Amino acid sequence: MRFRGGKPMLHSLLAAGLLSACVEDDSPGTGDDATVEPGGPATAAAAPVRDDSLEPGTLGSVRAIPVVGWSGPGGRPFEVALRTRDRESGHARRFGTITLRTTLRGGTPDLVQYPCTSCHLGRTVAMKDTRIGDAHQNIQPRHPALLGAVCSTCHSPSAVDMLTLRTGDRVDMDQGYRLCAQCHFAQAEAWASGAHGKRLDGWQGRRVVMGCSDCHDPHRPAPLPRIPFRAPTIQRGGGHD
Amino acid sequence: MDRPDRPGSGPPPAEASLLNKPVDRRRALTVLAGAAVAGVQALNACRPASTLSEEQRELKLLAWREYIKGNYRDMTEAERAETIARLERQALVERGSAVTIQSTGAQPGVVFGYAFNISKCKGFRSCVEACINENNLDRNADTQYIRIFEIEDGVVDLDHADATFQHEVPAEGHFYLGTQCFQCADPPCVKVCPVGATWQEPDGITVIDYDWCIGCRYCMAACPYWARRFNWSAPEVPVPEVNPNQHYLGNRARKTGVVEKCTFCIHRTRQGRLPACAEACPTGARVFGNLLDPDSEIRWVLEHKRVFRLKEDLKTEPRFWYFSD
Amino acid sequence: MHLKPFLASALRSATSGGARYHVWMGLLTLVMLAGAWAYGIQLRDGLGVTGLSDHVSWGLYISNFTFLVGLAAAAMMLVLPAYVFDDVDFGRAVLIAEGVAVAALVMCLLFVVVDIGNPLAAWHLMPGIGFLNWPRSLLAWDVVVLNGYLALNLAIPFYILYSHYRGKRPERKKYLPWMYIAVMWAVSIHLVTAFLLAGLPARPYWNTALLGPRFLASAFTAGPAFVIVLLWVIGRETRFPVAEGAIRKLAVITTVAAQINLVMLLSELFYKFYSPTHHGINARYLFFGLDGHHALVPWIWTAIAFNILATAGLMIHPLRRNTRWLIPACVVLFVSIWIEKGIGLVIPGFVPSPLGEIVEYVPTLVELGVTAGVWATGLFVLTVLVKVAIPIELGEVRSPHVEEPRPARVTRPRTTRPRYDEDRPVRTR
Repeated sequence: MRFRGGKPMLHSLLAAGLLSACVEDDSPGTGDDATVEPGGPATAAAAPVRDDSLEPGTLGSVRAIPVVGWSGPGGRPFEVALRTRDRESGHARRFGTITLRTTLRGGTPDLVQYPCTSCHLGRTVAMKDTRIGDAHQNIQPRHPALLGAVCSTCHSPSAVDMLTLRTGDRVDMDQGYRLCAQCHFAQAEAWASGAHGKRLDGWQGRRVVMGCSDCHDPHRPAPLPRIPFRAPTIQRGGGHD
Repeated sequence: MDRPDRPGSGPPPAEASLLNKPVDRRRALTVLAGAAVAGVQALNACRPASTLSEEQRELKLLAWREYIKGNYRDMTEAERAETIARLERQALVERGSAVTIQSTGAQPGVVFGYAFNISKCKGFRSCVEACINENNLDRNADTQYIRIFEIEDGVVDLDHADATFQHEVPAEGHFYLGTQCFQCADPPCVKVCPVGATWQEPDGITVIDYDWCIGCRYCMAACPYWARRFNWSAPEVPVPEVNPNQHYLGNRARKTGVVEKCTFCIHRTRQGRLPACAEACPTGARVFGNLLDPDSEIRWVLEHKRVFRLKEDLKTEPRFWYFSD
Repeated sequence: MHLKPFLASALRSATSGGARYHVWMGLLTLVMLAGAWAYGIQLRDGLGVTGLSDHVSWGLYISNFTFLVGLAAAAMMLVLPAYVFDDVDFGRAVLIAEGVAVAALVMCLLFVVVDIGNPLAAWHLMPGIGFLNWPRSLLAWDVVVLNGYLALNLAIPFYILYSHYRGKRPERKKYLPWMYIAVMWAVSIHLVTAFLLAGLPARPYWNTALLGPRFLASAFTAGPAFVIVLLWVIGRETRFPVAEGAIRKLAVITTVAAQINLVMLLSELFYKFYSPTHHGINARYLFFGLDGHHALVPWIWTAIAFNILATAGLMIHPLRRNTRWLIPACVVLFVSIWIEKGIGLVIPGFVPSPLGEIVEYVPTLVELGVTAGVWATGLFVLTVLVKVAIPIELGEVRSPHVEEPRPARVTRPRTTRPRYDEDRPVRTR
């Protein structure tokens, strides 16, 4: 379905509303209900909201808790807990605790331009600013173009190190999943439940997963075709195939 | 002391031919020839022990002890430890490969299930490559436990599938579906093995004791999913590529004349890790977990996605489901 | 006290004979040695020296095994009329038939041994020191019934021959119960082998209810045909009297069984070809080829043609009663059943594979060598058994300890009252 900027579909609005209403961020190692400002400046701390009308299993709440002492792959892991209306269980919930490993666009090769503030020194960026003409020419905004979106649809012009949700809330680059989930709520639910994407650690114990942009370049999300590993040799006689 | 046979009972009147020699000489020659052959064989087989090196003697002793051992299922813990020690020693001495063979049992409360997303699979075959390396599969014969099929949209029919594609993937108008051993809940392969060399463990993995298998290949005929492979020749893995983390019932070194198959990477999954195929898939098309855990991803897939299994009508109850986005 | 002279005399009988006999045995020995050498290659290099693959994992060895189990079973079925109905015509043929059964069984067991990948581990099958997965595994059943049948077929003829050797009549109450058991056992060995294949839902080509009855029908076609040819050879080469009635009755059995076999074949073909379901895809490969693969097509059509031709010929009374037509018809029928039940049954079960892949099978020279060696071993065993049995049956050989030696004579068989309207004798050349 086409998403026309400025006229969100009802369900995406609902989802976005639900998500933004329920999203909260915690600092490391604190208890359940503490709310802490996320890692960027000047972002309103979202108050924790539990919606009791939610069915267990829906993307009730997502919390990103940075993990201390992580020795697995990835740079800055967060522990993401999915909360449902089952309050007693505290941390663990319908889908267990997933630990988010985000490497800040580990999939895209052209990542020489982060942090954004290295060029955009805190000031508002005008879309037509062409002082550094070829700054972002390597980005082919296929995905945004399909939706009739522009850069500022997702990137916050006033805080360029952050992303912006449809509700106007700003989120960290590490919480890009919240952005994608606004439209791709089905994939987001599958991702949180384990049917989309993969686990980085084993099947047992803590779940470590990646964020959306670790596999999907947000500007060109479709996976690239490749030449597969060699085909099986089907021999006739004298051995295997 | 034998009286000769009755008159008229001897051989028919002989034509004067070379072929009708008297029996005595013929028998004598036969016996002599037989004795000569037997003697040469005996000499070959039983070289005096002093001509063997220390290493060769040790290997012969190890081989003998391995030969006379029983079925792994019936072994005590001590016997299992002994055979594992022998196998590790054999690997080290014969091939210079230092390996660790586990005998880890099934975790209680765990039954493995697998789900395969046919929307996400793009036919990369990263799983195949990872499996070959993880499971020490024969490089000579290019053994592959996993088969990835390219099928035209509109039909899920393996009779019209192609596993030998070698072009850029994903191809337009096609989807991809992978098979391997499905660790069926009612495995026909286990039923037909005449010596009980293959059985299903409590965590659902159907395993083979390679040293007990006689190589009759009845299980290969019985498997509806073509999941089993036979070692038609001596399997070889270059020593630097050997995965030293092995399990007795899984990826340890096999030998000629025995059957093998996917074991859901028993050496990894019993330690809480994912099988190599699930870990390697770049598109996240493979979901693995504990069917008995209501919070697992596999259970979520089974409860929320439209799943199907291959050859459902055969009632083998495979623990491997397919679903799409 | 008769045993040692019996064995010594048996050895003498087996190693003495005319020029043709020695040439025959020499030839067989050569082929056996070639087979042993080929098997040595297979043991050294693994089964990869054959044409087998993960797709077609059973080939020439199991095809021959399947066919020969039928031969062994059918040979025993001839015993039934002889002893139960006291049909003396069959009386003499029975020992020959049991010799055929033993030889066929030896070949069956040898084919299994050469087919398994780890023959040194065969002791794993023995209950007690190993583990026999009985009753779940049909192969375990097969091991039990084949070995039991071999034991029966060695013990009963041995008892009869040994009694004759000692100049005594074998006591009916001693062998008749075992004979009944052996007859029923004969049916079971072939049904078990059929169930071994038919019980696999993974292989729709075999997974039919008719496979067991088809096996029995084709066994009763090929078995008596073989025995007819064998009796004819014995009648020409030795002084052993072969009753005309025996050959006549065997020919009738063969003909009727061949007709039933064709009807069953027709039934299977209808079921497989009338609707183009997945169940018929293996038959389509066999009869018409699939996706450019058609290695077996000429074989099966030859077999069908031979089968129909031979059956039609045998249905014509004058032809069946004339050995000039009977013997070639039996040979042609035997060959056609071998193709249809051997390579026409086992190999198409694997093509295409359960996942739809088509890999064809072509036996290698090593495989053919081992097969030839096993067949030569079987024929060798058969020849030896027949060569030992005949002089004893003719009364020419008796134990030296026999108190009252019977005079050596050539006995003329009593012909029975003709039961059918064909009372004309079988013409021999």
